[in-house]
Amino acid sequence: MNHFDLVVVGAGIMGVTAALRAADGGMRVLVLEQDSAGSRASGVNAGTLSLQIKRVSLMRYALAGYAWWKDAGDAVGFKRTGSYTLAFNASEEALLDERMRLKIAAGAPIEFVSPATVRAAESALCDRIVSATYCADDGHADSTRTGVYLRALLHDAGIELRERSALLGIDVGGVGYTLRTAHENVTSTNLLLATGAWLKPTAALLGADLPIEVRVNTVTATERGPSLLGAGVGHATGLLTLKQKSNGSFLIGGGWQGRGSPETGRGEVVGETLLQNLRLARFAVPGIVGFRILRSWTGFEAFVPDHYPLAGELPGIPRAYVLGCVRGGYTIGPCIGTLMGDRILGREPALPLFDPARVMKPQIAMHENIDSPLRTRSPTLPIA
Amino acid sequence: MTGSLRIEAQVQRGPRARFTYDDRPVDAYEGESVAAALWANGVGHATDCAGQWPSSDMPDRGPPWRVLFCMMGVCQQCVVVIDGIHVEACRVLVRAGLDVRSV
Amino acid sequence: MKKNGSDIVVLGAGPAGSAAAVEASALGLYVTLFDENPVAGGQVYRQSPGIRSTASSQEQVQGDALGAALTASTVDKCFEHRVWQVERLQSGFAVHAVGPEGPVVREARALIVASGATERQFPIAGWERQGVLSLAGATVLIKSQRMLPGRNVVVAGSGPLLMVVAAAIIEGGGTVAAVIDANPRRAWWADMGALASRPDLLARGAGWIRTLVAHRVPMLFSHVLRRIDGNPAVSRVEAVPIGAGGAPLPDAQALSIQCDSVCTGFGLLPSTDVTRLVGAAHIFDAVRDTWQVKIDADQRCSLAHLYACGDGTGVAGAAAAPWQGRVAALAAAHDLGILSLGVAVEKMRPARRQRDIAARFGMAMARLANVRPNMVEGITDATVVCLCEGITRATLDAAIDLGCVTQNDLRSATRCGMGPCGGRLCEDVTSRLIAARTGLSRQVIGQPTGRPPLRPVDLNTLAGTFDYDSLPMAQPSPL
Repeated sequence: MNHFDLVVVGAGIMGVTAALRAADGGMRVLVLEQDSAGSRASGVNAGTLSLQIKRVSLMRYALAGYAWWKDAGDAVGFKRTGSYTLAFNASEEALLDERMRLKIAAGAPIEFVSPATVRAAESALCDRIVSATYCADDGHADSTRTGVYLRALLHDAGIELRERSALLGIDVGGVGYTLRTAHENVTSTNLLLATGAWLKPTAALLGADLPIEVRVNTVTATERGPSLLGAGVGHATGLLTLKQKSNGSFLIGGGWQGRGSPETGRGEVVGETLLQNLRLARFAVPGIVGFRILRSWTGFEAFVPDHYPLAGELPGIPRAYVLGCVRGGYTIGPCIGTLMGDRILGREPALPLFDPARVMKPQIAMHENIDSPLRTRSPTLPIA
Repeated sequence: MTGSLRIEAQVQRGPRARFTYDDRPVDAYEGESVAAALWANGVGHATDCAGQWPSSDMPDRGPPWRVLFCMMGVCQQCVVVIDGIHVEACRVLVRAGLDVRSV
Repeated sequence: MKKNGSDIVVLGAGPAGSAAAVEASALGLYVTLFDENPVAGGQVYRQSPGIRSTASSQEQVQGDALGAALTASTVDKCFEHRVWQVERLQSGFAVHAVGPEGPVVREARALIVASGATERQFPIAGWERQGVLSLAGATVLIKSQRMLPGRNVVVAGSGPLLMVVAAAIIEGGGTVAAVIDANPRRAWWADMGALASRPDLLARGAGWIRTLVAHRVPMLFSHVLRRIDGNPAVSRVEAVPIGAGGAPLPDAQALSIQCDSVCTGFGLLPSTDVTRLVGAAHIFDAVRDTWQVKIDADQRCSLAHLYACGDGTGVAGAAAAPWQGRVAALAAAHDLGILSLGVAVEKMRPARRQRDIAARFGMAMARLANVRPNMVEGITDATVVCLCEGITRATLDAAIDLGCVTQNDLRSATRCGMGPCGGRLCEDVTSRLIAARTGLSRQVIGQPTGRPPLRPVDLNTLAGTFDYDSLPMAQPSPL
């Protein structure tokens, strides 16, 4: 039988955690994936699990997401290393001061520390630090292990996963939704689109126009070498993440932009931009010059104009949900995915969700329940 | 292994050039790569080979370095440190006084 | 950082790239040629400046001619430059390299890729030991460095390089303890039609075999090495017979052979790193059993103004390479509007004909190295497959069983192929392992995504000197 209570399209962190929750609540769930589970943003990001870089209003979600990764533990290479956010000049210092005070007020266990303290703890850092903050709980996991971990979770929960099954079209009506794939068709009562950077074209299959754009984030890995850095390193602007993995290789990130779009498949690294990212890393940890660059890649990160997530039912398309566009989605994803699962089950999620209607132009209702409570809810911005 | 590995018949070598490898003197000729010169001098990274295979199961161990394998800068097995930079020994031509270190 | 424009950039100064560069520059185009080595020649005409064999050889003559033609041309030669990134621009391509004077960027309207091939390796238990080297590496060592890999060498694998290396060791004064050929003896004569097209090369090959016979070198056909022992460097190997499919024969007696060095390799794999990086289309060639860039009859790739020539397009040998290079240059010149269609076709016709004739021999030679489908069965669980990261077959099989069935997936999950060599030594065999375990085709298993840098590059050279305040910081991330 090919009819499900819920089909989730997209086997990234968010889609899978939503699927797990829905199945746990008794739904018969199928997960469709165009490539391999966890192989896109979920599997190619820098693995940073830092409360310091999370948005103020999303701090509670970040804390919950962080707990999920901590619980995953060795299976994802979770490490609590602590991390520092650094400022190297006066304007960065002001920025750091302003932002971190708000995040601390939002509940993040962050503290200001003196440059001397930082250098005493991490001697590989440069001597140009003007101010710094520290969070002992920050850490990282190995994002390359996401795919295997997600597959294992789905398998253990008895949820069917179909990889290399691109979604070609969606028909509405009758028993619910009919999904046409490269293989066989499936039908479902509920539909969750969690296709990350591909969410705009996927939602368009339902006639929903989501103002999604995509960033092309660059991450670089070095070869292995002597242990120089124990804690993670960030920058007041967010434009640098730097960590040394337990095997000795450095991962350098910070959202420097490559080129490309999901339509063309994978993005491209832009050489000139990469060099700026590397210079910033070298400035922070001068000793990194002894490590050769082995590999630089890009991952897509979708966002909407207000840079908050999309998580909710599509207006006028009952029982069709979208989930995505989370900046810093690696940390926060498991929390929001789980909340989405609760909503799909008809439960009240523990934290407010993020109504996609807020970013959509008003549309003529396509279906009967234009007055449903979900449809008329005003845009939600969670406040700390 | 006994006997010289350098082929003597029908070859014209450059002038001699002595360099150091982890402070040990190595006799070589100009035109030789550091990897080949080390090999000809019987240099091996002995301690890593015998049953102590570094692998991702032992993540804190680095990869094994041996003196040469592909001789064309591809396999990365021959990497050494010169002036603080990692470089393939097979791509570096010897010159007198070069200070070469193992990784 | 130097940054200026050329009409054409050629990557690789082997026989194909050099011929392409010379041809294009003779047509009046501004050509920049990049190569990592200090002189032209690629692998087949490899020479070290400073060491010279005084014995004459056809290769030395051809290599010298190649170098002379380049010197006489107006080609802008960037030797000792390691290309690490190639980007597609609106106007063509940007090639990023590091040379003796630091980073260099060269933009060009067209790009000709001639980066050749690397050797196919098959993991053997104990192949991580000192004293084990590739056949191609042994060729470089003996020919351009004038050194022996050992005094008593086992030469193992498949293809013409087996005999090349074994004969060269003997000519250099060393001993060959055994030649271990995975193919049956008759494989050498199987393609006589194609081989006979080059009686000179055929005679040379017969000469190698005569040398081996005269020195009573034991030659074991349809055998592979099962293990390499030594503490720490090589001291002996074990060889076992294999069946028609390539798997070791059950209950067969292993032969123990004393030696102080092992040279091993199984043919050539086209280098596709540059063409994958820029996003060109590739095909898996079932006859050659290799991935290669997809080209048309004029060496054009699937992207505008991108061309490929030489062994990277499918191993066809050193004689075909310069003709491929000329055809690529002519196609590029036409596409840039320098040659009219009529003139281009007229010039290309003889070059294409010579190319296709020459390729017959090269392809037959390449087929000699083909690996049997069941050879992976001989790789034991404990054998290290990824030398860079020390990943064993057992680790890979476990990951494959957990659903990591594409190159990207397997690399991500196990780190196999993510070390400094970028998977060049292990990609072919890991694809075969996936295929053997899942039944999936090589097309589905795929190739890994092409990513920069093309070779490891040190941060010091790349980053250079800079002023922190002049770093172009984008908008801070949203609060």
